[in-house]
Amino acid sequence: MPLYETVFIARQDLAAEDIDVLTDNFSKIITGAGGKVVFKEYWGARNLAYKIKKNTRGHYVFLGMNADHAAIVELNRVMGYNEDVIRSATFKVEEHKGETALFASKNAKDYKAGKLAKKEPSKLDLAIDQVQFDI
Amino acid sequence: MSRNMSKNKFSKPAANQTPKAGDDGFLRVSLVNQSVFIRRKKTCPLRAIPISEINYKNLKLLNKFLTERGKILPSRITNVIPKKQKALAQAIKHARFLALISPIKKD
Repeated sequence: MPLYETVFIARQDLAAEDIDVLTDNFSKIITGAGGKVVFKEYWGARNLAYKIKKNTRGHYVFLGMNADHAAIVELNRVMGYNEDVIRSATFKVEEHKGETALFASKNAKDYKAGKLAKKEPSKLDLAIDQVQFDI
Repeated sequence: MSRNMSKNKFSKPAANQTPKAGDDGFLRVSLVNQSVFIRRKKTCPLRAIPISEINYKNLKLLNKFLTERGKILPSRITNVIPKKQKALAQAIKHARFLALISPIKKD
């Protein structure tokens, strides 16, 4: 089965419990169609770079999936109808790689604003720091 | 006769001649009263980063390749190789769609 990633932005005035319920509902669509949700990440309530449907902040949720195309189509259809989701995007990927750089917590419930555990910079982070070019 | 002459010209390289200054491939520039330009060999700044890591999630990386106004820097300036520039541009556009990067910054 191909691998997909989905990021969706939930409305700013949703409670943490509501976001978890929303995420569970979406992952049930995938598991119901015989797929698997490999990664579930909550990126926190982030400031949006521009207003989307009158929202200035949004709750970002990331799902890493291993599912058939039909399940992904169904997921996108349901997300399109849902009024709590202000934006979503699905990407096909070659492989799933552990935690993403934007990881905040596994569930929205566990998230505590402004109290992110300091991680040791990975090899990639050090490589990114060294990226330089002359203008 | 003239044919033979010309043949000899090409077949016999001047082996005995001592190389003149400038024959060894280096350009000699006198430093007196002249501005000298030293051209360094440019390499891709992303050579240490695999192409799979150039995605919309690595905002730290993407922000390095944007101007102050939020435009994508051309590879003509940054010297990123075409394959990675394509991935970079696509990643920036994905991040813009998800409102992680602003498409334009107004003053």
